[in-house]
Amino acid sequence: MHLAVSPGELILVTGASGCGKSTLALALAGLIPSRVQGQLRGRVIFDGRPLSGLAPHEAAQFVGLVFQNPNLQLINMTVQSEVAFGPENLALPQPEIAARVDWALQVTGMSGLREASVVTLSGGQKQRTAIAATLAMRPRLLVLDEPLSDLDPVGAQEVLGTLRRLAADEGTGVVVIEHRVDEVVPWADRIVLMHEGRIIFDRPPHGAWDDPSPWLATGVGIPDVVRLARAVPGAFANGAPLSVDEAVADLRGGWFEAALAHRAADRRAAADGAPGRGSSLPPVLSWQDVTVEFGGRAAVDGVSLDVDDADWVALIGANGSGKSTLVGLTVGLGKPAPGQVLFRGAPIRPGRVFEHAAHVALLLQAADEMLFAERVIAELEFGFKFRGRPKDPVLDVPGALEFFGLSGLEQASPWELSQGGRQRLALAALLVGAPGVLVLDEPTTGQDADHLRAFLTLLDRIRARTGLTVVIVTHDMRAVASRAARVVLLGDGKIRLDGSPSQVFAQTAELARWGILAPPLVRLQAALLGELDEVLLTVEAMVDAVLPYRPATLEAR
Amino acid sequence: MLSSLLARTVISYLLVFTVPLLLPLAFFKLVGLGGLRELVTYEAKDTPLHRLDPRLKVLYPVAMGILSILLTWSFMLIVFGLSLLPWFWLRPSRQRIRVLMVMVIGPALGGFWDQGMYYLPPPPIHFLYQFPWTISWMGSPGITTYGMIFGLEQSARVLVVISTSMLILVSTDVGDFTWAFERFGAPPAVGFALTAALRFLPEMISRTTLVLRAVELRGYDLSRPRWYQVTRWLDYVRRAARCAVVVTVPLLVGTLRGTATMAMVADARGFGTSRKRGSLRVHKLTPVDLGGYVVLVILVGGALILNHLHIGARYYG
Repeated sequence: MHLAVSPGELILVTGASGCGKSTLALALAGLIPSRVQGQLRGRVIFDGRPLSGLAPHEAAQFVGLVFQNPNLQLINMTVQSEVAFGPENLALPQPEIAARVDWALQVTGMSGLREASVVTLSGGQKQRTAIAATLAMRPRLLVLDEPLSDLDPVGAQEVLGTLRRLAADEGTGVVVIEHRVDEVVPWADRIVLMHEGRIIFDRPPHGAWDDPSPWLATGVGIPDVVRLARAVPGAFANGAPLSVDEAVADLRGGWFEAALAHRAADRRAAADGAPGRGSSLPPVLSWQDVTVEFGGRAAVDGVSLDVDDADWVALIGANGSGKSTLVGLTVGLGKPAPGQVLFRGAPIRPGRVFEHAAHVALLLQAADEMLFAERVIAELEFGFKFRGRPKDPVLDVPGALEFFGLSGLEQASPWELSQGGRQRLALAALLVGAPGVLVLDEPTTGQDADHLRAFLTLLDRIRARTGLTVVIVTHDMRAVASRAARVVLLGDGKIRLDGSPSQVFAQTAELARWGILAPPLVRLQAALLGELDEVLLTVEAMVDAVLPYRPATLEAR
Repeated sequence: MLSSLLARTVISYLLVFTVPLLLPLAFFKLVGLGGLRELVTYEAKDTPLHRLDPRLKVLYPVAMGILSILLTWSFMLIVFGLSLLPWFWLRPSRQRIRVLMVMVIGPALGGFWDQGMYYLPPPPIHFLYQFPWTISWMGSPGITTYGMIFGLEQSARVLVVISTSMLILVSTDVGDFTWAFERFGAPPAVGFALTAALRFLPEMISRTTLVLRAVELRGYDLSRPRWYQVTRWLDYVRRAARCAVVVTVPLLVGTLRGTATMAMVADARGFGTSRKRGSLRVHKLTPVDLGGYVVLVILVGGALILNHLHIGARYYG
């Protein structure tokens, strides 16, 4: 491949999982072949000098790399020490180190936690610390491998804004490797699309989707505003917009805005009040006035929440809002004080994880850590060794193998499967038991659009086949908008909003207050029409809503 | 009745096994795996102890260790008392105090107990409690006051070193340690190795906690019986041992992958760029630091002089 990065340029590199993006990052940072085995043909040149021949620490003075997993790249004890580590290695004078640390912490929003121990940080805070640690080295080229994967949407925009400023003000070249194309593209100068180790597309964002075939071929998601522009030709005067702001500027005062306003008025007339709980049956899961404290700070604060049978509930909230703590209680991880959690009316006893995991299947974010056997088939039967085969499993083992696309791989090692395959296996292993609820903690982190779509489709199929209740914790607002029946927003450990996705996402100001950025289509509606009671969530719904109002002249065209 | 063979046998078994059984129980109940993190995790505060010169803090446990080796029991008591005083300065959290108490007092109690049974004075021996022949397979004739005092003495010596080391660990950021080592002339790699080691323990504990959580979610019963459910404890030990086998491979694989990435991160942050590293920290010697150095010199120097004069010196022979 040939790739050039100019000073002050922010480049988005994207592509399906396994297409070589992370390898590209390691090569750019001079870590191949010195630290990662492999053959490097060709050269990586920085400012006229070859990086490939330099020792990694020498290359690090020019190219900064933020690795993929924030858990593994924090090697010091406190946030401040972590950020100072790089400048200290460069043997800078103390005032310069202090200034860099202050600056890096400030631009990443970590100043308030500078003395905090890194083991106490949330995933998003760790990611910010890792970014700050690399920023503090002031590299002239900054490469970030999936820097947004653990960040909430507002946090992601803040980090991207910082990178943009860094490029514009300091002339730093920035390469962002990401699956979250929607969020990065408004900030990018160029988009590079990779497929099977090659660059198949490298151009400025405007017009990048004029021909959607490379995007469809690689399975990389097309931003919603672009899809909308393509679905309603003629609505956008300046071609496909890249951001909500651009879309608003194009649509303001036009027929599209009027059509949306008509539709909103129709919906208001038809509305018959906010829906209550749909079922008269007792809830399958119930949190009753639950509080959980860590070190005197309430991670969950007086939460009461009922989840009905066959419900599809999404828990959203900023990093550290208490989502994972709340779902952990459903299997006895953590102890509410006060309050209690009930499964079908029976209290969940803290610490009795083994007992409660039989009823509540919890898939951890780190699904790989849930695999223990040497063979796929043994993995599926792992649980039976300890609590016997259930009489009425959600799926039996042969059924699970077939359902999850693992047939023929019974004797394979779980580690021979792709990351998506391992996640499916961990999920299958939970469902060969007899759980009544499936709880998923950040299952879509770091997945490309194709894998995300496949995973969500899989969930749909599981629900269609088993009628299982699903509770999902996620930062992926598009996934929530497209699938969830109910959305619960947590902020500072309390429930802030609770309703259908179209109702909850309509509260854009309240969402932003609690660190959540509504999906682009929702922000578009809010920007055009102001605060609404309900919003349209998908491109398809929006197209259906506006097309009847399209002017005849455009129709004819 | 208490002097019957049966009663004496029962009492002897209780005496022998109560302490060894209480120690792991206290660990599980009061510390747990996650609690181990408290042992080495730096607690950021603004106390005089935190502000002390890191070099002085590195020297402090070394000096106290020298004193604990040189001095006799009565002097040791003074040293032991002195070593506890800075803890009042630090005011650690309740949770940390609980963990420290269990992890420090536990082994000390164990040492005190086993020396009481196995360290025998020259005859005639005064037994606090003499075991009957039915427990002779244990190899101890009974518990002696002499042995217990000896055990207490040895434990106190160890406690001095542990207590001072812990005090420094929880009040000193690892970066300060690295700075101190570098000022003592050690190469940067020594400081980095120390940082990595101290960082590794909490990371390992977090990973182990996660894997144990995952194994329970997959159906493995790791629930502990209540203390009075004696018959179920054997099964619990068996399950725990099997679990250790199940989780070892994922833990090892994860750890090896993690350390490889950590090494690359160190490279990517320019570690090794220069033989001499810079430092965020600035430590200017304060009157308190100077006072601390003077106290350390007086203590160690005084002990050496006393030792030379055969005052308070330990008897070897």
